[in-house]
Amino acid sequence: MGILLLLIPISLLLIGVAGVAFLWAVDHGQFEELDRHGFDVLDDSPGEENE
Amino acid sequence: MTLSTISVQDMHCGNCVGKIERALAGIDGINGTYFNPARRLVLVEHSGDTDPAGLLRRIEDAGFHASLSRIETGGTAQRDLLKRLGIAGLAMMQVMMFAIALYGGAFDGMAETDRLLLQFASLAFCLPVVAYSAAPFFRGALKALRQGLNMDVPIALAISSAFLVSLANTISGSGEVYYDSVVMFTFLLLTARFVDDRLKARFEDANWSLADLPERALVVGSDGMAPVGLAAIDPGTAVWVEQGNQVPLDGTITQGEATLDESTLTGESVWVHRQRGESVFAGTMNRGPGFEIVTTAGLDATRIASIAELASRAQAEKPAVARLADRIARRFVPGVLLLAAVTWLGWQLVDPSQAFVAALTVLVVSCPCALSLATPAAITAAMTRLRQQGIVLTRSDALEQMADIDAAIVDKTGTLTVHEPVLDNVTWLTDPGMPMEDLLAATGMLERHANHPLARALSQAYPDSRGIRLEQVRVIAGAGVEGWYDGRRIRVGQAEFCRAPASQEHAVFLALDDRPVARFTVTDPLRSDAAAAVDGLKHCGIAVTMVSGDAHDRCAALAAQLDIGFAARQAPETKLKITRALQAEGHRVLVLGDGINDVPALAAADVSATVLESSHLVRSKADVLLLSRRLGALVELVGISRRTRRIVRQNLAWALAYNLTAMPLAALGFMAPWVAALGMAGSSILVMSNAARLLSSSETAHEQAAAQASKLTPEALQGV
Repeated sequence: MGILLLLIPISLLLIGVAGVAFLWAVDHGQFEELDRHGFDVLDDSPGEENE
Repeated sequence: MTLSTISVQDMHCGNCVGKIERALAGIDGINGTYFNPARRLVLVEHSGDTDPAGLLRRIEDAGFHASLSRIETGGTAQRDLLKRLGIAGLAMMQVMMFAIALYGGAFDGMAETDRLLLQFASLAFCLPVVAYSAAPFFRGALKALRQGLNMDVPIALAISSAFLVSLANTISGSGEVYYDSVVMFTFLLLTARFVDDRLKARFEDANWSLADLPERALVVGSDGMAPVGLAAIDPGTAVWVEQGNQVPLDGTITQGEATLDESTLTGESVWVHRQRGESVFAGTMNRGPGFEIVTTAGLDATRIASIAELASRAQAEKPAVARLADRIARRFVPGVLLLAAVTWLGWQLVDPSQAFVAALTVLVVSCPCALSLATPAAITAAMTRLRQQGIVLTRSDALEQMADIDAAIVDKTGTLTVHEPVLDNVTWLTDPGMPMEDLLAATGMLERHANHPLARALSQAYPDSRGIRLEQVRVIAGAGVEGWYDGRRIRVGQAEFCRAPASQEHAVFLALDDRPVARFTVTDPLRSDAAAAVDGLKHCGIAVTMVSGDAHDRCAALAAQLDIGFAARQAPETKLKITRALQAEGHRVLVLGDGINDVPALAAADVSATVLESSHLVRSKADVLLLSRRLGALVELVGISRRTRRIVRQNLAWALAYNLTAMPLAALGFMAPWVAALGMAGSSILVMSNAARLLSSSETAHEQAAAQASKLTPEALQGV
């Protein structure tokens, strides 16, 4: 089971990356307003590509 | 008497409430304090000469962070929680994987080095969870050491002791480790807290406050328009409302006409049109072209402000059932700690090696007590749902009492009927000696000058002027309108004014040269949804009584059409008598009223409801405010209150049953700590999801779809 000595540190590393990515995503507002943007395509308010 | 709203961000539980209550108890001039842990608010009703800053200091002295109102929307707090939750979740996945290997190794045998490796790896993942994710619990518990127990104490105790024992055992290389229980416990607790916060956030979204109004409004001056802060705008100022913007203050339209989305105020998603001279309310959305208003109220006196104040009073005050749950919860924490200690001591006598696990399991299994979540979660959810339907409770007990209602007293005019009279028929009394069509057109034109509901009915019935010219038109207040046409004097108005014999009400006469020629009868048509709403109420076992000042036969016809009881030709005061009579028969009575003269009946009723248009006095006396005049809202209210009661009971029953079975099992050592963590979190989440059912139902989905469709159509058409 010597391979564990290699695989477990790798898993530590990968989870570390995932954790940092998650913190970044939360801090940059990726999880705010999950519903609204789905309706954006239906919004004809002026000022965007409609003009 | 003033009402101060104090926001206390670190008030989570019944214990904190108790402490703040005690801190404020000694201050003179306080009339009442209401607490709302869900919104972290304390409302203090105090005399004018009590300094709110003094109240803040008292609360700060008790160890809390207090600030005067401006409720924090919790955006950053929720992000913070999400981060802690995410980290705990990632770590949990790994630790559980190692735990399975370790459990397997414990049964089948495993090399010592592999076991140590897995334990250290678990430790590595567990560290950030304990140090970062669980930090709020430790902070809460530390605070509790200074101020008395709260739910964070057993949680922190369980996490820290399990972690420290595991750490010691890992280093020494012998004995059990509980990393899996630690991470899972933390993750599940955070999940429960996250769901709870989400519920509250949804409630905040559905609610509004003055904070939702724009900051500035375009004030129209002699040299163009300039943005001015809302608070600086006095009543009587001309304000321009741009397309797509919110109406900033209550006012009357002076230029243009408005297409408004009043759903923020009434919950009604169908857009309404308002003509010149009609009122518009702050907070509604202008969906049509811009228009000008003259403000009728300052920022603090707007309708939305007064509703927000009433609503926040209800939210800050705890319903009786929630107070009961609080009392139980307050005793619960010391009880849990005591039981854990007794368990530990007991096992020391029997089998010392089991003492720690059993005590730990007791701590874990009882947190954070579904019992204390059972009611607040359901009530928050119910209030959210009501708010979406345009129903505001001004007294928190009303929700519970509403469930018992079995009789309702409603007005006829304006409640069952639209309160917008329309022409019913015309009777010619004599031959006028000129074309009838011209006379009717002249009637319509004359009535356009009068500002009376009956006059409006006629002017709408005959909109076409047919090229007729009227001269010397004159409005005689309280009587009618007169004018000259073709050398003859025409009068339109009440019987006496037109020299006609007095007859039933709701009749308008037309006279030519002091001779009555025609009689117009006007009716108030039934609301389109009245029949469905009455049916709905009956379906809920509620007997509806219609009270009206109108004539007997008119009421009888209407009552027969709806199949309800009625009391006709009533003086307004008799509503009180009818209420009392019904109550004497053992009924729980709901009174819906909108006039000042309804106040005694509203006060006597078990639950009183009023509409947005009623005066401030009536609004402040009513338990329930229906923001839309739809009678259907009452059906909705009854339905939601009954469902809420059912869900609260289910939640309490579940929480009690769970704690009563799980705690003895844990104390007797029949339960592993990780099972306890699952059971604890499972029951909290179950209780909260049960409460969240109130937010949605199949009919809601349907309504929302309909609302979406009606909202999208005009915009979609513009795009075509």
